This record gives sequence, C-alpha cells and structure tokens, in this order.
Amino acid sequence: MTSLGSPGRMYTLLSGLYKYMFQKDEYCILILGLDNAGKTTFLEQSKTRFNKQYKGMSLSKITTTVGLNIGTVDVGKTRLMFWDLGGQEELQSLWDKYYAECHGVIYVIDSTDEERLSESKQAFEKVVASEALDGVPILVLANKQDVETCLSIPDIKTAFSDCTCKIGRRDCLTQACSALTGKGVREGIEWMVKCVVRNVHRPPRQRDIT
Amino acid sequence: MGGFFSSIFSSLFGTREMRILILGLDGAGKTTILYRLQVGEVVTTIPTIGFNVETVTYKNLKFQVWDLGGQTSIRPYWRCYYSNTDAVIYVVDSCDRDRIGISKSELVAMLEEEELRKAILVVFANKQDMEQAMTPSEMANSLGLPALKDRKWQIFKTSATKGTGLDEAMEWLVETLKSRQ
Repeated sequence: MTSLGSPGRMYTLLSGLYKYMFQKDEYCILILGLDNAGKTTFLEQSKTRFNKQYKGMSLSKITTTVGLNIGTVDVGKTRLMFWDLGGQEELQSLWDKYYAECHGVIYVIDSTDEERLSESKQAFEKVVASEALDGVPILVLANKQDVETCLSIPDIKTAFSDCTCKIGRRDCLTQACSALTGKGVREGIEWMVKCVVRNVHRPPRQRDIT
Repeated sequence: MGGFFSSIFSSLFGTREMRILILGLDGAGKTTILYRLQVGEVVTTIPTIGFNVETVTYKNLKFQVWDLGGQTSIRPYWRCYYSNTDAVIYVVDSCDRDRIGISKSELVAMLEEEELRKAILVVFANKQDMEQAMTPSEMANSLGLPALKDRKWQIFKTSATKGTGLDEAMEWLVETLKSRQ
C-alpha cells in the first residue's frame, strides 16, 4: 500500500487502467485502386464480417464512389478506421491528401479485368513511390477471385513484378480475395492489423471507445 | 412516453421520415432541385427568403426536405434547422468559380456544428449542363473536402434544369440511409 501512496504512481496506474478499459489504438487504412475494382464492396464486407450488429448495404446496390466512404473495424484492442476513396482517374489526384495520416494501404485489383491491369499497375507504382507513404504496409488484394476466368495470383505478381524494387523496406502481401463472397477478407485484415501494430514509425491515434 | 412508443413503432415498421436539408449559396439551384424531386418538373423560382419544405417519397423511403434560402443575410439562420438532420445536400453552382471560396467557408462552418456530426454530406455539383463546369475533383479540392476524415461524403454531377444526376443521387442516398438505420 505504501508504494501506491505516491500520487505519481497512482496516476500512472489509474490512467493505465482507463486506457485499458476505455481506449483503443486507432489506425487509419486507405483503400485505393481503380474504379470498379471492388473497394467499397470490400469495405462493406469487412464491416459486416467484423461488426455483428452492422446491417450492411446490400452489396449489389453499391455504385461508383465519387468521394469518401468511411468505416471502422475492431480487432481485439485495435481499431482500424477505413478511408475508401473514389478510383476514377480524375479522382486519383485526391489520394495523396490522405497519405500523411494513414497507417496502411489496401490496394484493390480487379482480377477479371486483364485489359486495365497495366493501368492499375501504373496507379500502384505511383502509390508505392510516394514519399509520404514511406514504410507504410501495403496489402494488395487480387479481388473477384470468385469469377472462374480470373487472373491468378502468380499472373498478377508477374504483371506487377517491376514495381517490386519500389516497394522497398515495408510489409507487403498479395492476397487472393472475393469481396463479394468474403473469401480472404478476414485474412487480409488480420495481416494488416499485425503490420500496423508492429510499425513503430507510425504510432496509432488514441481514441475513446464510443 | 409518446416518444418511446413512437420509436418502438418506427423500429417495427421502419418508416421513420428522413430529414434532409438542401443548403448552398443563393442561385445555386436549391429550390429547382427540391421541386424537381417533388413534382419532377422544372418550376420557375424566385430567390427564397425563408424556406420551402416538402415531403418526397423515394423507393418507399419518406424524406422531409428543407430548402433554406441561400442569401448572405439569411445564411445565419441555417443553424436553426440542423437538429436531427440525416443528410445535407450541399448545392454548388459548378460554374461560379468566383464564389467557390465563400461556398467553402459556409460549408466548413456548417460541418463544425455538433448537431450535424452524424449527417451524411452529399454535394451536388449543379449546372453541369453549362460549359466550363468544374469537375468533381476540382470541386472537392475547392471545397476542401479532402480535409474531412470522419465523414462520408459523395459528389454528384447534376443539372436541375435538365434533370440529370438527381435520380442517381437519390438512389445513393436511399441505400446509404437504409444501411445506417
């Protein structure tokens, strides 16, 4: 009891307890990729999978984003705050406004759209080359894997192979996924949580649990 | 007590009326949009002093839509209408580059209000039928939208006089509000 008597220690103890009970570490995750890649569908699927009370949007009703969709997902003591941005070429100029504050990037690729794969690669190259995203973990989602004729992970990795050197020293994973059916969504998010937590260069924001 | 029963009633039958505000500078096209949504026609409008309010039903969802006058002298009264608002439709004249800065500062001031913290923001980049109209990214930057990190927002290109973009926008609003209920 005597050791607790010092007000300094008491404060540390109580503030630690308060943090433990009422605060979560919040990390901001950007969802990028060309239009029609499935970014918003991925976000809605994640929200539905991780929040039991959440009645998601019906996935078939999702339309083109010209703006920002947000969403939070709690995984244990960690909260991910998603920013899902419009992917049309004209809107890509808005992406870098979010780089400084983000802790991780999810880059979504439409695996069924071979024609626009090189366009997607160019946009990806710009993202990874950006200094404001230095060291930020990147999850590449090869989406729409529920479609039989889609490109495989090796196909996509080959197409993106000349970006490898630009990725540099950061965590990067290519994950097969179907935002529509939910396959690969949980794995992707759990990987992202692991990476943002261990990345000491971008500490989380602390938020009260509401 | 009445509020308690009515909230049970509405949760059982899911028919809560959505409250939408249409805001923006004078001459942006707010009243034209309101009556396009309500009667589906272009009506001749005069500058609104005060407000117009109409009930609009879209895909089984009832909206109470308030169109507030946009002139400088009456903008301070917008805040009297903020409580319980589900979404704000912010109308901008896409050709009025001279006043986009004023439009931005009115928007920023509005979004700082606690009562609108949970409201969805829909920007109508109106008058897209005109040449020289701003593109969505131009509009987003001029209005400072990338600085909003905790709020869902979306831009629609509209032309209230031609009727383009409005259906799309309402459809989006219906789906978005449904998933929030």
